[in-house]
Amino acid sequence: MAQPRILVAVALASVGLAACGGTSSTGGTANKPDKVQIAAEGPFTGDQASIGAGALQAIKLAVKDFNSAGGVNGTQVQLLVWDDQHNAQTAQTLQAVGIADPTVLGIVGPMNSGVVLGSVQGLQAATPPLPLVSESASNVAVTDSGNSVAHRVNARDDAQGPADGKFMIDQGAKKVYVMDAKSDYSTGLADQTQKYLSDHSIAFQRDSVKAGTKDFSTVITKIKAFNADWVYFADEGPEAAPFVSQLKQQGLTVGQNIQFLGTDGEEDASIITTSQGAYDGAYATNITADPAGVSGTAAANYVAAFKAAYGADAVSKAGPFYGSAYEAAQVLLQAIKASPVNNGKISRSDVLSHLGSDTFSTIFGSIKFNAKGDVQTGGIYVYKATGNAMVVVKQVSG
Amino acid sequence: MGTFLQQLVNGLELGSLYALIALGYTLIYGILELLNFAHGDVFMVGAFLAAGAAALLVHNEVAAIPASLIVGLMLLVAMGGAGLLGVGIERIAYRPLRNANRLAPLITAIGVSLLLESAIQVGVSPAPVLVPTNALVPQTVLHVATVETPLTGVMLFVASVALMIGLDVFVFRTRFGSAMRATAQDREAATFMGIDVDRVIMVTFFVASALAGLGGVLFGLRYASIDFFMGYLLGIKAFTAAVIGGIGNIRGAMAGGLLLGVLESLVGGFISTQYTDTFVFLALIAVLLVRPQGLFGQPLTDRA
Repeated sequence: MAQPRILVAVALASVGLAACGGTSSTGGTANKPDKVQIAAEGPFTGDQASIGAGALQAIKLAVKDFNSAGGVNGTQVQLLVWDDQHNAQTAQTLQAVGIADPTVLGIVGPMNSGVVLGSVQGLQAATPPLPLVSESASNVAVTDSGNSVAHRVNARDDAQGPADGKFMIDQGAKKVYVMDAKSDYSTGLADQTQKYLSDHSIAFQRDSVKAGTKDFSTVITKIKAFNADWVYFADEGPEAAPFVSQLKQQGLTVGQNIQFLGTDGEEDASIITTSQGAYDGAYATNITADPAGVSGTAAANYVAAFKAAYGADAVSKAGPFYGSAYEAAQVLLQAIKASPVNNGKISRSDVLSHLGSDTFSTIFGSIKFNAKGDVQTGGIYVYKATGNAMVVVKQVSG
Repeated sequence: MGTFLQQLVNGLELGSLYALIALGYTLIYGILELLNFAHGDVFMVGAFLAAGAAALLVHNEVAAIPASLIVGLMLLVAMGGAGLLGVGIERIAYRPLRNANRLAPLITAIGVSLLLESAIQVGVSPAPVLVPTNALVPQTVLHVATVETPLTGVMLFVASVALMIGLDVFVFRTRFGSAMRATAQDREAATFMGIDVDRVIMVTFFVASALAGLGGVLFGLRYASIDFFMGYLLGIKAFTAAVIGGIGNIRGAMAGGLLLGVLESLVGGFISTQYTDTFVFLALIAVLLVRPQGLFGQPLTDRA
């Protein structure tokens, strides 16, 4: 009766060899590595493709840009695409390829906290260990569990949770209905937010719904019985549209007699359309910066390049992590480029130590990892659904 | 008390959806003793066909089409399409195995289920798809005392009760119904009596799958959001409902569906939404232990 749900999609994408050669670079060919590969890992198809697909586009663009600028001393970086479907077992199968191949020097991703936590031991135990730089895994345990391979460029749940709680309190929240979607990411984040609310004596009720839920009538009846003025839903996104539509149908209109604060995947303008406007007025926070929403020429140039590569409307479809994914890829590629080449080989151990010690130049400015693998500057961004777009209304430094 | 009644109504609404799908499971099992695990996915395809029709017809550039006509066309496309899909599945995946080991069609059923899910995921959309309900059905909410429910929820309930009665009449009061029951009792003897068994089975698949298609339309109109994976768990729940009611029994499927919906809603409302599935499957185990033939005992026909 149990159907195997493993869709192992291993796709090898060798990314555009835009400019061949690069022989004009100084330093000769002695430092030229024979082969350099990195992997992009995340839920690129499936029910979370809305967050994964845009991130993959960003990583492909980062590799292409890096290769156009000469690659690693003239060697073009090849990108492996690992579509883990936010499933840790699938992730392990995919990662086994990289663990066995010493020319795979690092992973951009995995995107989901649950996948990182479910597969990081294998990456740590590899010889040499296979480093990862996640663009979106926010559960505190990702970097707190002592695995030196784990890095991330996004903010953590224990920054986002309190920021979310504080935002709701600042907006006048009195009774908050806290919901999660039963994943390592969403439960961990909802716990942090709930703790903040509880520490500040705000009344709350906790609930969880399964990913893929369509019928929220049971939950909505409970929200009404609790008389909540805010709903907080830590979720990757797919459940938000039916939830707010049904809220509205049951007489609770977001922005009017109920306020809604979502997280990361819910900062997705397409929810406004798929909820037939019921999402208008909702807030959502994001653990990464939107390149289109920050100042700085590097970010602006990136947005222009992203549109040039994938179309004018690509940014609006790219999901919340197309900026951090590019940033994470930049970091990994710079660490690889800084590593020594011996007999045409780069060791993963060197990449790992450069990740730990170097300062990287990214589209969001310079960043450096602390001893755990977290970035020292990371902010929480608050968005509001206005008309048919998500607009940044506030930035909280993390 | 008000909350209890509200959760009860929520449960009946959800349960009538389970019942609608369970009717199809039970009908096919009654005739063929085959667990059509692709049934939940036929429901999903029906919902996508309806959504496709709606997307083409709402806000089209040619002419404004009245909403009621669009809903009518959605029903036609989804029920017809799902019905034909069911017939096709039977022809390709089950008929060649009709005399094979009983495990064989079960495995092809799972294969068809995966095939349909993947086809929709790759071919249509990996993300949830919108059904533009605002343009199609009145978003009226009915109030009775403290209990409220959207009109579309009432439609769901009425449709499944009406279809249960209709099916009951079809199977027990019509000539074709007696042919179906004869086929269920003894396929070989039915052939000797001049019954075209292949045709009976084909029609059964068409009717069961069209019901699933109808379920898909009503689901889309009620919840406005559909995705390629929604048939999986819903199919398993509907199957559980059919077994609890007594698989092969039409009234049992209905009762099992409603019971399951109410159980799920009350557990979610008063214990925890985390445990709804746990209780659903506990109920299944409990019924199987105490009354293995299901609540409504006898199958569609007596066959030992």
